[in-house]
Amino acid sequence: MTTNEAVDVMAKVLAPYIGDTMARSATAAHCQKLGITAETVSHEQLEALLGKLGGGLNIFLGRDKSASVVAEARSALAAREGSR
Amino acid sequence: MNGLDRRSVLPWLVLGLAAVLYAGWAAFPASGLYTRWLTPYRLQVIASALKLVYLLAGTAWAFQCRDRLEAGNPARPAWFLLSLGLLSTFVGQLSLAPSQLVRNETPFPSVADIYYLLSYPLLIAALIVLLKAYREAGFPIGSVAERAGILAGAGAIAAVAAVLVLRPVAATGGPLLERILTVAYPILDLVLLLPLALLLRVALRLRGSHAGEVWLLLLGGFVCLAAGDICFAYFQTLGEQHLDPFVHTTYILSYGLIAGGAHRQLELLKS
Repeated sequence: MTTNEAVDVMAKVLAPYIGDTMARSATAAHCQKLGITAETVSHEQLEALLGKLGGGLNIFLGRDKSASVVAEARSALAAREGSR
Repeated sequence: MNGLDRRSVLPWLVLGLAAVLYAGWAAFPASGLYTRWLTPYRLQVIASALKLVYLLAGTAWAFQCRDRLEAGNPARPAWFLLSLGLLSTFVGQLSLAPSQLVRNETPFPSVADIYYLLSYPLLIAALIVLLKAYREAGFPIGSVAERAGILAGAGAIAAVAAVLVLRPVAATGGPLLERILTVAYPILDLVLLLPLALLLRVALRLRGSHAGEVWLLLLGGFVCLAAGDICFAYFQTLGEQHLDPFVHTTYILSYGLIAGGAHRQLELLKS
């Protein structure tokens, strides 16, 4: 999966909770911190990214809800991967 | 409209009607409605009740937000501090209620001012803790230079506003304690507006989302609080009686919006 596709999928899931702008800028900031700069992103990198985003969502949603949103993002990423 | 929708719309309807009612008092004080039915005393009683209800509800909801967040969550202490700040304001308002309801007067200075003053460091600390939590969680709150620029800009505007708005208040010849307190509230508001200016940057990025709604309400409430304190300074020190309805309007809106923000956050945590 390309990094841009992954960011799009994650931003779509996170947007209702933290807004599209924040979802994209937070995802981009975490990608930079995790060194995800290549055109494609590996499964391990996606998991690390989801972990970081989940930690941030905790502040707004609490641990349980944040975990369910991360699971939703994971499913959306898997669905996108499966549709290729 | 189903039952749930009605329940969620009703508090906003009440807040909107209250704002219109008190703004109407400011615009048409000589009308029959305000001279025969809604006399200044009755309006004082209604305002006192609304403020107490909103402050108590806001305290409870902010505390429940703290309770819903797990131990170690960086936002948890912020909601606790916010609930303490609202509780302190509630106690201040409650201590004024007997004088307002029985003698139809609002003593100033009074014991209520201790609680009102105490609320500001708590509210300011709540906002700073939230900012720190957002930064630690990796949300983009701006580089050090950007934050310094925002703080410098907001600080400069606040300083100019403080000089222009508060000079006439400070120059009056009333008792020293009264003058100190009257100036202290707007100055504390301006200090409160500094972390708010930084949070506004975060809030703008949250727009269109559930968390954005929370921040829209909280920011609106704090801005109304600052406006209320400035109106109060003019009303109290310069005897600008026509500002009394604005004092009520801004405080009711402030407490209502902050309580609404806490409630929206609680809904988000419960969802």
